[in-house]
Amino acid sequence: MGRWLAKAAPGGIVLVLLLWGIEEAVDAGLVKRSLMPAPTDIGRILWELLVDGQVAGPLAETLARLGIGFAIGATLAVIMGLAMGYWPRVYGLFEPLIELLRPIPKAALVPPLVLFLGVGDAMKITSIALAVFFPVLINTVQGARGVDPVLIDTARTLGVRPLSLLRKIILPASAPFIFAGIRLSIALGLILAVISEMIAGTGGVGFLIIDMQRAFRVRQMYAWIVILAVVGYLLNLLILAAERRFLFWYQVTERT
Amino acid sequence: MLGRRSGLLLIAILLLSWEMTSRTGLVTSENWPPVSAILAGLVLETLYGDLVQVIGATLSRFALGYVIGICAGAIVGFTFALVPFVRRMFEPIIELLRPIPAPALVPPLVLFLGVDDLMKVTIIAVTAFFPVAINTMQGASGVEPIYLAVARTFRTGPARVLMKIIMPATLPYVLAGMRISLALALVVTVVSEMIAGASGVGYYLVLMQYAVRSADMYAAIFVIAALGFALNAAFLAAERRLIFWYAPVP
Repeated sequence: MGRWLAKAAPGGIVLVLLLWGIEEAVDAGLVKRSLMPAPTDIGRILWELLVDGQVAGPLAETLARLGIGFAIGATLAVIMGLAMGYWPRVYGLFEPLIELLRPIPKAALVPPLVLFLGVGDAMKITSIALAVFFPVLINTVQGARGVDPVLIDTARTLGVRPLSLLRKIILPASAPFIFAGIRLSIALGLILAVISEMIAGTGGVGFLIIDMQRAFRVRQMYAWIVILAVVGYLLNLLILAAERRFLFWYQVTERT
Repeated sequence: MLGRRSGLLLIAILLLSWEMTSRTGLVTSENWPPVSAILAGLVLETLYGDLVQVIGATLSRFALGYVIGICAGAIVGFTFALVPFVRRMFEPIIELLRPIPAPALVPPLVLFLGVDDLMKVTIIAVTAFFPVAINTMQGASGVEPIYLAVARTFRTGPARVLMKIIMPATLPYVLAGMRISLALALVVTVVSEMIAGASGVGYYLVLMQYAVRSADMYAAIFVIAALGFALNAAFLAAERRLIFWYAPVP
């Protein structure tokens, strides 16, 4: 406990000093309140949002879109990735197409998606699913192609059918790669959720941030950015926890 | 190689059916221009329009922001790894800022810096910063202890240790971070031009969407995809030359 405190103390002190410095600078009029409100003001707004429960609506909207888009994109990517990893013909069929589509920054696809799907949820969920799809696919393919051939040959010798081979051997063996892809793509999915709400939004956290900026309600804008940061942080923790739960058998090299 | 041919064939069939559905009127929509019209638009805009300038604006912004971001990231990463006390002091701030999705920082930066290049370059630099900083820190603090022990045995000076051991050992990590940053920074370049733009491919894209010139809109997406592809390919080539001695552990 004492050692932990000694380690965490310098960081905590610098953080408090920084916030205090901003507070004083704003109070002294060095920074315009219309640009950077005092941290305590932002904190108060944040507290009000939380206590009133106002935070729930927009947050639920954004998270629901992210959840649905992520589920669709990741599921399709895993299925396709396993198929591409297992059957070389499927790999040959789709690999060039994927290499063609992958480098497109998915944010650039929002305008055409708006043309086809309008500005509603369908467009937002599709763009999130697209952003999630490619990292998960690439990782799954990599994982599935790298499965120890002895495992596969053994299963075949024992008469395991291709579908249960995919499910029981290749899927678990590529799980560490799939999780790496998922961790990358959840961050990208959140980015796309925010972007699509900013570009064509009527609700959600991304919309609120840009709406508050346009309305010069700067404190609210910062409060929502803080909320978004917390969401991003918690999502990462969630994935890490899931990874530990499902991959307890896999020695992960420690990453910070 | 036989497999790849089927893939190329698939692309050809998809493009052809796109062309045919649009030409034959199977799909009649403003949003569904034939592929040939997109390519024609691309060529015409390149030759007679201002597409070249548009790309130039995007690329120069991107390059400036990216270089600033990765330099700052590498410096901070090295400092954190080599001076643990500094790391303890400033890491919490970095950890607090890192999970914010970069596009969410565009609105506050617009307040401070306006909608001009300064804002866009800043947001690109901020985006490029984090992956490089994190990777550099990891690489520089994970140098094989035996190398450092050997250097100490030979009484190698700290400057030499830094230049001859720590730097080369960290380089692959720095480059890995730079490659992640490359893709992210390109996304943010386009996004910042879309949200608060007056020039660049992102702005052009949104403009064409509003103007219902869908062929030119798709041409813009094509340009962005080609940029992404070319930048990544160039990066990979440079990486292979720079760290030819490095074989990643599978």
